[in-house]
Amino acid sequence: MEEVNKQDTPAQKSLDKMKHVEFVQSLDSKVSRQSYEYWISEHLRMNGLYWGLTALATMDKLDALPSSEVIAFVMSCWNENTGGFGAFPQHDAHILSTLSALQILILYDRLESLGDERKNKVKNFILGLQLPNGAFQGDSFGEVDTRFVYTAIQSLALLGELSKEVIDRATDFILKCTNFDGAFGRAPGAESHAAQVFTSLATLAIANNLHLIDQSKLGSWLSERQVLPSGGLNGRPEKLPDVCYSWWVLSSLALIDKIHWINSEYLESFILSCQDLESGGFSDRSGNQPDVFHTCFAITGLSLIQGKKHGLKAIDPVYCLPSEISANIKKWPVDYS
Amino acid sequence: MLHEVKKQRLTEEARLNKLKKDKAKIKTYRALTEEVLKGKIERQYSKHNLDLTTKLIDLNPEFYTIWNYRREIFSKLFEDGVLDKKETLEKDLGFSMEQLKRFPKCYWIWNHRVWCLLQLQSINEANWMYEFGIASKLLEMDSRNFHGWYYRRFVVENMENNMKIRHKDDSQQQIYQYLSINIKEYQYTTAKISKNISNFSAWHNRSKLIPKIYDNLKLLSDTTAFPSIRHIFQSPYHILMHELNYIKTGIYMDPDDTSVWLYLHWLLLDPFFVEYLKPESSDGLSSYMDILKSQLQVVMEVNALEKEESSTGEDNIWCLKSILIINDVLEKETGDNSILNTKLEILEKLIRLDPLRKGRYLDYRNGAAKLYSL
Ligand SMILES: [Zn+2]
Repeated sequence: MEEVNKQDTPAQKSLDKMKHVEFVQSLDSKVSRQSYEYWISEHLRMNGLYWGLTALATMDKLDALPSSEVIAFVMSCWNENTGGFGAFPQHDAHILSTLSALQILILYDRLESLGDERKNKVKNFILGLQLPNGAFQGDSFGEVDTRFVYTAIQSLALLGELSKEVIDRATDFILKCTNFDGAFGRAPGAESHAAQVFTSLATLAIANNLHLIDQSKLGSWLSERQVLPSGGLNGRPEKLPDVCYSWWVLSSLALIDKIHWINSEYLESFILSCQDLESGGFSDRSGNQPDVFHTCFAITGLSLIQGKKHGLKAIDPVYCLPSEISANIKKWPVDYS
Repeated sequence: MLHEVKKQRLTEEARLNKLKKDKAKIKTYRALTEEVLKGKIERQYSKHNLDLTTKLIDLNPEFYTIWNYRREIFSKLFEDGVLDKKETLEKDLGFSMEQLKRFPKCYWIWNHRVWCLLQLQSINEANWMYEFGIASKLLEMDSRNFHGWYYRRFVVENMENNMKIRHKDDSQQQIYQYLSINIKEYQYTTAKISKNISNFSAWHNRSKLIPKIYDNLKLLSDTTAFPSIRHIFQSPYHILMHELNYIKTGIYMDPDDTSVWLYLHWLLLDPFFVEYLKPESSDGLSSYMDILKSQLQVVMEVNALEKEESSTGEDNIWCLKSILIINDVLEKETGDNSILNTKLEILEKLIRLDPLRKGRYLDYRNGAAKLYSL
């Protein structure tokens, strides 16, 4: 095995922050607007903006995008009829874009600019999506997924509007998604998947209910996600590694205090090997097309293992926001009494 | 969110060419988007608007707002009797299938398909058997697609519900039908696994089906039904024996595959089996201890073979992990202190051979984490 490592683990490089900042800036520019891809990704704009801003904030470069324009865009995506945010002006509200919108506002410490009335409507939009079994649907069309439970619960946490009733029911649902391997699927009966582990675990963390699961068993499953020769993490057994799992798996390990159950040096090399040193940004695997989603989760993942070394801000594994920002979020149950 | 997209390196000529083509495509796309969204805001629900959503979704099936609008139009046109609900929705299942073939991982398309079926179900016109065939076809295209497996479970659940309604006055018939669906699913996992032993999605589903089948067989008064699997499902003990035998070849064939090992750990540690086996069985069956010991022998034999074949002469990592877990259970169950040394030896080997997870093994060694839990 030692042989394999020497041959195939790429030499450790440094993080080219300047390039990544430029990459995020280039996503909405005169040049990008000339490409068809820019226009057909409007349905992801709010999420994309959150990913880009979180990457920037982690690199301590939040000011690389114009804050007033960003906030104006977020506000223009609010949907008065439903009370939620869409991904783009005139697009329908969805729980995914609603969380991204709230996260962006809190990144700028501008949550208050929503105003009480709008805030209340956002809250009611989210509460209206919870189903009798405790799960949340993404919008009124009924898709159910542990992803939506997390996005809903985090949104309520950001608004400071958690309640015992909502939390207990969400916890019940999450626990029903546990599998024999100790990990979680998107719904009861569904196969374990690292991204669903993150959303399930982070929900339990917000609900102060992490003690309800078998952390040792789950940690073992999570640590098996690291594979050779790349040292990267995969999302399920017998699948290829992908840099976005640096976030899903690492944040999960962080939540149960087991980051040391994988090899950080190998992972660091893998993450750095996914950088695109020409255009900036990260791709799922070395040599692929970079995008803002993988850029965000490569950088936040890197911050969890080697933040100081690469000059990155500490990131909160529960909220995927810089820790200095998440510190101000009302925590359940201590801040609610 | 790009996955598996190779980096494009365009020549200057190709770049200019794309720019030109994109300009035209952008113009069409933006004009169409504007027109469709205008219709949506003005609450226009006509066949013309419907056709526009078809065109736009065909260009961009990720545009969730347009799927929503499409469903709003349908609902209104059904209500007004402009469109026939059954015919229209069946046609839309065809449309979503076309999209799924192009984008098998797009959540919104799967979601729309589910919506169509539930609408059909509300007028008792959903053809779940047909859908069941579709689910199989989709998993043939990609046997690990978790959308595909999720969808298959959704279809099966609806088949179960329908059958319950059909036989609402005959609880035995309900159980019989429920079993025939789930036994077929169990056999389907066997088929998938024999095609590819690394298909953990199939192993996972198998672990969910077994307790269901067992529990329901107990409720069935006709003891001659399902003769082909009856003997396997007599008791958790019989199931365990059958499954252990089933995975044996897999372990010998490919001891580096994680799927089979995870399944073995389920068999040896899950309360479904352990709670049945734990009270010393009086009817001449082997006890939990005997089973653990004989599995330990199997794994050690595989490990010895691997060691012989390996160029480095080292132990097989997954064999070691399983030997460790089995020994740990044996130690706790028997109170035999001498097992501790064996465990420590294995941990030393794992720390050396599986350095990625060194921290975990160290935690096991110093008692900071438990190896297994019953
Ligand atoms: Zn990815």
